[in-house]
Amino acid sequence: MTQDNEPYIALGGIRKAYRIGGEMIPIFTGLDLTIPRGDFVAVMGPSGSGKSTLLNMLAGIDRPDGGTLRIGTSHLDQMGEAARAGWRAHNMGIVFQFYNLLPMLTAAENVELPLLLKPLTRKERRLRVERVLDLVGLSGREKQYPALMSGGQQQRVGIARAIVSDPGLLLCDEPTGDLDRKSADEVLEMLRFLNRQLEKTIIMVTHDPQAALYARRTLHLDKGDFIEEKRAA
Amino acid sequence: MPVFLSTHSRQALVMIRTNLSSLPRRRAISASMALSVALVVCVLAGFLSMAKGFETALASAGSPSVAVVLGGGTNQEVGSDIPAAVIRTLDAMTGDLGVIRDTGGKLLSSREIVVPVDMRQVTDGASRTLALRGMDLAGPSIREGVAVSAGRIFSPGAREIVVGDRLADEFGLGLGDVVRLGAVDWTVAGHFSAHGSAFESELWADLDAVRSAFDRQGQVQSLKLRLAGPASLTLLRDALATIRQAPLAAVSEADLYAAQSGRTASLIRLFGWPLALLMAVGAAAGALNTMMSSVSDRTVEIATVRALGFSRLSAFLGTWIEAIVLAAAGVAVGLIASWLIFNGWQASTIGANNARMAFQLAVTPDVLLTSGLLGLAIGILGGALPAIAATRLPLTAALRTRG
Repeated sequence: MTQDNEPYIALGGIRKAYRIGGEMIPIFTGLDLTIPRGDFVAVMGPSGSGKSTLLNMLAGIDRPDGGTLRIGTSHLDQMGEAARAGWRAHNMGIVFQFYNLLPMLTAAENVELPLLLKPLTRKERRLRVERVLDLVGLSGREKQYPALMSGGQQQRVGIARAIVSDPGLLLCDEPTGDLDRKSADEVLEMLRFLNRQLEKTIIMVTHDPQAALYARRTLHLDKGDFIEEKRAA
Repeated sequence: MPVFLSTHSRQALVMIRTNLSSLPRRRAISASMALSVALVVCVLAGFLSMAKGFETALASAGSPSVAVVLGGGTNQEVGSDIPAAVIRTLDAMTGDLGVIRDTGGKLLSSREIVVPVDMRQVTDGASRTLALRGMDLAGPSIREGVAVSAGRIFSPGAREIVVGDRLADEFGLGLGDVVRLGAVDWTVAGHFSAHGSAFESELWADLDAVRSAFDRQGQVQSLKLRLAGPASLTLLRDALATIRQAPLAAVSEADLYAAQSGRTASLIRLFGWPLALLMAVGAAAGALNTMMSSVSDRTVEIATVRALGFSRLSAFLGTWIEAIVLAAAGVAVGLIASWLIFNGWQASTIGANNARMAFQLAVTPDVLLTSGLLGLAIGILGGALPAIAATRLPLTAALRTRG
């Protein structure tokens, strides 16, 4: 059990390297990071700085070579792949840069996907889907297919899918990278709302300094280490 | 989706549905896989229906209640010879021989010889070798399922023939037509039907007329006897064993034709199966390619749902079921095409007595089942590897790729 004063997310001495062309290229050589519950962190940095690797490890998609990685009470560094997939399904929502909606499913069916992993009745699933689509301002578009939606609307469906199972943590991978400024601001307002009003912990990887302004703090990653931290005014 | 389904089942159903819904994106390659399966099914169904049709033609020709006595140590009519003295001895036997007797107490039997004759076909003018069977007047009535369909039976001693319906159609032999067989002319007195059996590939005539026309005086190759029942063959064999003039063998007509059909049907299958299996290997490679393309096409979708927490099993089932559905579509097309093309198709081969034997290809339920199962096996095996590949997709593909 974590105590109230313990950080929600704790990375200690994380090491990670990738084999490229027979040579091991280190990404992290002892990364430390703590994030309290309810925080909204933007992670910035140049290409190759390790942002994606960090996100993949936090999502349980990838495992560190060494060090500890705990989220809540779960030690992801000690869990097998199937256990991490199950953990992901119940504790985390992911917002993708390119929305990653399944084109042959309607908006409601896309949002319903994470709920299929839970023992819910059809009616319970439908009520939850309607609630979150209403929350992201897409009420009435349940039966619309992604191809008929704008980028901003698709990303709002993506956010609805990420929060429909009420996870404590949202990982956002360049959530506004494919949007115009207006749509990007709408999505970022949505994320701020989720953080402030629903107390979701959000970690957002972004290249956009304006997007980072919506976060409570911004971490700059370079060559596998955090070199700067800025807190929102 | 039903409430009672487990989360695993729901995941699998969603994956299967998304895969099948995305099929139009891969229309051409999916159709090519289904068609290659259909082709394999057609080839195998063609060969099997040929073997089945051949067996059916011969099996329906033979009755277990008709005994065929052969002499000269052979088990075929060709090469068999029964001396006249043997027949006289058998006719003179009293007591129960297991053979039905007529009202006068004579054994219900027919002495027969088979002579190969050449005849020109109406359609292409090509010459074909047919079997002209000389028989006693009781010959047609001894056989089961034989009926005169037009005209009448041949007259004793006359150079008249009755022709099987199948041959009459094929060679354009109408009632009253005169055909030259050997050195003499014969008049078509009638047509007979025998439920499409091998009998319909024969010409029947009076025994003495055939013997005189082909210089076979006194010859008898086989003796057909109408048994009281299938079990009576033993009694007949016991009686024949007491005749010392010549070695004689009695077999049921059903066994005689089954032995003849078995060899040829096996030969047809011997060619059919390797060809179909070879094509099946090619089709399985095609299925593998199609499904690999499917997995590649859906990389982001598969990785996305796996990133959401869906199991490897659901990814496997989605791809695997897609392959099986495509194969099943190919099987359906192949079976329908086989039925339409092959069922009832007239074919012929060299049958017993070195004469031509016509038969109909028969696309029976077991032919459909065997061909269909081979087609499904292509999908099951060809889809398995890509399905495994789908479970091993790197999930990172979902995070930075345009969906």
